[in-house]
Amino acid sequence: MSAPATATHAAQGLAARRALRFARIRGVTFAALGLVLLYAAAGAFATPAVFSFWIDKQGGESAELQTTVGILWMVAGVASGAVGMLQLFRGTAFPWRRWLLVLMLPVLAALLAALLNGTSANLTGVLGGSLELAAPITMGALAGILSERSGMLNIAIEGKMLLGAAVASIVASVILNATGNPLLGALSGVAGAMLVGALVGLLLAWLGIRHKVDQIIAGTVINIGALGITNFLFLRVLGRNTELNTPPTIEPMRLPLLADIPVLGPILFSAKPYVYVAIILMLALTYMLFRTRWGLRLRASGEKPAAAGTVGVNVLAIRYRALLLAGLIAGLAGSYLSLSTAGSFQMGMSAGRGFIALAAMIFGAWHPIGAFGAALVFGFADTSQALLSILGVQVPPQLLNSVPYIVTIVVVAGVVGRVRGPAAAGQPYEQA
Amino acid sequence: MTKLVALLRRGALPILAVVTALLFGAIVIVITDFENLSRLGSDPLGAIGGAIGGVGSGYGAMLSGAFGDPGRILTALQSGSQKDIATAIRPLTETLVASSPLIFAGLGVAISFRAGMFNIGGDGQLIIGALGATTTAIALAGNAPAPVILVAAIIAGTVSGGLWGFVPGFLKARTGAHEVITTIMLNYVAAQVVLFGLRSDFLRAPGSGQPISKVLTTFVDVPSILSLPAIRLDYGFVVALVMAVIVSWLLFRTTKGYELRAAGFNMTAARYAGMSAGGSMMLAMFLSGALAGMGGSFMVIGTVGQLSNDLSGGIGFNAIALALLAGLRPSGVVLAALLFGALTTGGKLMGIQSGIPFDLLFFVQALVIMFVAAPGLVRTIWRIKTPPVEAEVAT
Repeated sequence: MSAPATATHAAQGLAARRALRFARIRGVTFAALGLVLLYAAAGAFATPAVFSFWIDKQGGESAELQTTVGILWMVAGVASGAVGMLQLFRGTAFPWRRWLLVLMLPVLAALLAALLNGTSANLTGVLGGSLELAAPITMGALAGILSERSGMLNIAIEGKMLLGAAVASIVASVILNATGNPLLGALSGVAGAMLVGALVGLLLAWLGIRHKVDQIIAGTVINIGALGITNFLFLRVLGRNTELNTPPTIEPMRLPLLADIPVLGPILFSAKPYVYVAIILMLALTYMLFRTRWGLRLRASGEKPAAAGTVGVNVLAIRYRALLLAGLIAGLAGSYLSLSTAGSFQMGMSAGRGFIALAAMIFGAWHPIGAFGAALVFGFADTSQALLSILGVQVPPQLLNSVPYIVTIVVVAGVVGRVRGPAAAGQPYEQA
Repeated sequence: MTKLVALLRRGALPILAVVTALLFGAIVIVITDFENLSRLGSDPLGAIGGAIGGVGSGYGAMLSGAFGDPGRILTALQSGSQKDIATAIRPLTETLVASSPLIFAGLGVAISFRAGMFNIGGDGQLIIGALGATTTAIALAGNAPAPVILVAAIIAGTVSGGLWGFVPGFLKARTGAHEVITTIMLNYVAAQVVLFGLRSDFLRAPGSGQPISKVLTTFVDVPSILSLPAIRLDYGFVVALVMAVIVSWLLFRTTKGYELRAAGFNMTAARYAGMSAGGSMMLAMFLSGALAGMGGSFMVIGTVGQLSNDLSGGIGFNAIALALLAGLRPSGVVLAALLFGALTTGGKLMGIQSGIPFDLLFFVQALVIMFVAAPGLVRTIWRIKTPPVEAEVAT
């Protein structure tokens, strides 16, 4: 996550040449991928690809989109070739990450059609599901962006999500039992999750700043501790008192008017509130980070804290506040797990999502919008996995289950090129 | 004499860290005991007594689960009955059995941390090693004499664990991918790989619906140290001790070990001194994974006897806590692993006897890591004024 600090002149020349070489490799790779996809297209024009979408609501009328797998492969191939050419011509200036995300659309559509092999599939659920599963990952990634932009490595998102999920379920159940009001219960569950996330965020900041504990070790402490304490609570308390683990669930919310738009309405505007919150947070943080004084100071603390400190910015206070905010968001993401998917808290239910969120953060180049795009890809991988198993496509479930984790490794390894994170992330700062 | 005092000082912080963590664990036990807490209003003294009693019975069960009952051991030894001796010393030998994979994995963590690699993938490396050993043993069953199978299985397990650890090392050296994310992701992948392997009739126990392998110890078994019934302690434990000596020698008496430590201490300086920092990362991660894999191999062909997907049970995380507790010294790893082995074995009895879930120990371990990494916390809690010897902490 932290780039090696080599800032000599020779290294700069070297780095420029290296960047150019990587750009060329990327261009050739895109072009080659295009050829492979066109080759795949040649044999597949006979296989029909039928996708349908619900027009007004789940189970209502549906619109069908009929084409062949070959055409889909061809579109993907041509697109990949075009991106490759653009990359080769524009060199290092080419914003390839954005284009790679765009390119994923036709490639994934074609891949899905090829796996379905002629069976018709309704995509409203898959697309809506991708959006929904992307929401907690986006929020986790936003928490990561806030911390790392301020100069604190935050690998504890996993632990915060897990704690948030447990606390949300318990608080929501208790309030529901006490008041009988599901909405109040759910809202207080969410609030409880955010609170515990914030407290853990402050603990992380305190360990890292006050006690100068290595930020990776501090994060690991929180991750292991969260796993232990939530498992313990589940087995000792929730197992015996099931009334503490039956929270109200947060159901999809139809936005008036917008939800009536044909085809798009059921996908985009009948989603769970978490989706709307994630998108609003993404836009708000983009504005705050890059258009406000607060954002400039936060980024300065993460890039060159000494310089920020010299002009009078209170770097440590900024880092504490960033981790507090990040904790609130990570806790919120955790509440999604217990209140909106399973309907109760289960042991280890975060299942690596906190780390996948970090991968989304890295792939999104520490930018909220990029992270959202990456989270969508993870969400799509997750939901199409469910779709394929429902349709009985013969792929071993263990292979499908590993896909998100392998994709995360590939993304973090940046097989297609290295991203530079905030320069000072992870380094303790001595404030005078 | 001064040496002894220095030794005591050095040991004081880790011991205080463990004690403090266990005290926090006790607090958690008390505040989750709802039946007892509800009495606090009507019968405060009884509630407090009940709280202390609850902690006492929990931790008491842990102690007797870990070390057995000394009086019983004595009478059993006097009676001379093999069966009595076996039952009496079983808790003690089970502690050693539990600490054996912890020593392997802890040594692995110590090597990787010394080289500046925060390997938290011990679980995955251990279970992939176990898979390698299991596959080799079953493939060779009936085709080779038992000693050959034994050695082949251990080598295969060690190498597969090593390769599983090498991948994050390679990715870090070549692309800068942070090992914390890649190792934890590989833990999840390893679990899926093992589940996939256990789907096949080749590995799976015949007629079992559970993902569990055939019993290996019917045709290949690490020899036991004590020939007593129901005592699982075998020479795997001795090998673990030997590995501690070898790792110590490797780290502190060889050029490669010096390079590993130099890379961990200051990557840039090591690079300028002409050492291959990337090579050190990859080597450290390979060795780290290999040790964890060796630990997994000794489990499947020795103490546990078969492969299942929950074989590891958090050994990889325990190993991090104990390696940090040991100040990343191999001798310390052995001591800390014995302590954690006792906690593990005792914790299981605690779970059975007093209904306090075993998972509490993960929380306690997290606190141990925290207190070791932030010595100031322990000093504040215990009001220690002059700092003892500065604790060595990785990276």
